Amino acid sequence: MIAFDIVLTLGLLACAAMALTLRDRTASIAAFVVAGLLIALSWVRLAAPDVALAEAAIGAGVTGALFLRSARRIGPITGGPVGGMSASIAAALGAGGLSAALFWAFAGTSGPVPYPPLVAANLEASGVTNPVTAVLLNFRAWDTLLEIAVLAVALALVVMLGPAPVVPRALGELVLPFARIVVPLAILVAGHLLWQGATAPGGAFQAGAVLAGGMLALVLAGIGPAGERIVRGALLLGLAGLAVFVGAALAAEGLTGRFLGYPAGAEKAWIIAIEASLTLSIAATLCLLFTGPVRRPHQ
Amino acid sequence: MSAALFGLGLVLMSLGIVFLFVAALGLWRLPDLLSRLHVLTKADTAGLALVALGAACVSGSLAALLPLLLCVVLVAISGATIGHLVARSVTRRETAP
Amino acid sequence: MTTDLVYHVAGAGLTGLALWRLATCRDALRRIMALNVLAIGIAMVLLASGFDAATGRTDPVPQAFALTGIVVLVSVTAALLALAERIGGRSND
Repeated sequence: MIAFDIVLTLGLLACAAMALTLRDRTASIAAFVVAGLLIALSWVRLAAPDVALAEAAIGAGVTGALFLRSARRIGPITGGPVGGMSASIAAALGAGGLSAALFWAFAGTSGPVPYPPLVAANLEASGVTNPVTAVLLNFRAWDTLLEIAVLAVALALVVMLGPAPVVPRALGELVLPFARIVVPLAILVAGHLLWQGATAPGGAFQAGAVLAGGMLALVLAGIGPAGERIVRGALLLGLAGLAVFVGAALAAEGLTGRFLGYPAGAEKAWIIAIEASLTLSIAATLCLLFTGPVRRPHQ
Repeated sequence: MSAALFGLGLVLMSLGIVFLFVAALGLWRLPDLLSRLHVLTKADTAGLALVALGAACVSGSLAALLPLLLCVVLVAISGATIGHLVARSVTRRETAP
Repeated sequence: MTTDLVYHVAGAGLTGLALWRLATCRDALRRIMALNVLAIGIAMVLLASGFDAATGRTDPVPQAFALTGIVVLVSVTAALLALAERIGGRSND
């Protein structure tokens, strides 16, 4: 299997190099998306299926769509590189040195890792059996709360900047039938991922990303959220995740005296409830980040 | 029985890999975009379907077959849609001055 | 030669590539893409350092970090792209 790892990482580095050097924007973004899928494969090889699911849906899917949208608006690459050949060589030497230091610092560490025994010992009390979900929504739920706050801040920033909205217009004759099949499936898969996240790879982020993918298929088929009321509803839904999470944290504080310390015996119900609202909120946020928040009538 | 199923799975997967290899070869050697799309959408879908069927045979359980079948159906549908979209954008660009 | 060593090298390589591109490139979109590659390289180094070849498992805490990083990265990318469009884009397309 080591040969597969080497081929995979070489392909990954080649795709990343192409994404960062090709002059044609579409080719560069295509290489970036392929690199994203190869990275999802590497996460599987590194025994991190939760991260792989999120990477395939968000890293390759939603990010690629965002880049394609902006590439079309910004236009082709103009202007050469910063400085001349000597500046490029100096930057390469600096970046190479930093990269070698990073490799030395992390690959050189050895000895027992502290977290897995701790997580394994407390997994029973967390209410779920998937250790990643236990870390995300119980042991370090505070981090996840702040992450949802970052999503809300990004959404607020995009709303304030008000980029040109993606006008819903069908891409082609086949996209609507495609969306008719894929959207119900995306809703089913999202529900499945959300529920199985307690015991197996999956959870709110993966489910939200899959749901957002379904919503984007609808937008590209020309049946986007057209009315102002719907957009406002999606915006509220996007911010509701943070509100529910903060509310749950305060309620848990009131019940048990610990911030985000869920009542004993009911941890799973709390986690699933928070994750369900996060799923909807993440899906709405990702969709709005792509389409832009304000719908002006198409001229 | 299970050994025969395992062997059948390996044969199907090898056949699928041959299809995928032909698709990659076509992508590399064929001259223009439409013929590349032609080889990519067809040979790719067939190759993936064979690999998935082989994997289901190797695992030998019906529960593993269903998600694999779902994957194949989704890839077939999205492959057809994306092929259509790419071809459409190219023909539009060529007909429009 | 073990699996985690291969991914340590790849993660460090991705990080170096992205840093070089961030320093030498003037195009906003290309820089945002380099930022994405940088984040992925760091996540790969983190996950590789949490990978235990003996049991074939990965430490769940870096996994949670990487997962959080992916979601934060996509929101940052969307915000930066909106800014880039505002600075250099044709207005209404």
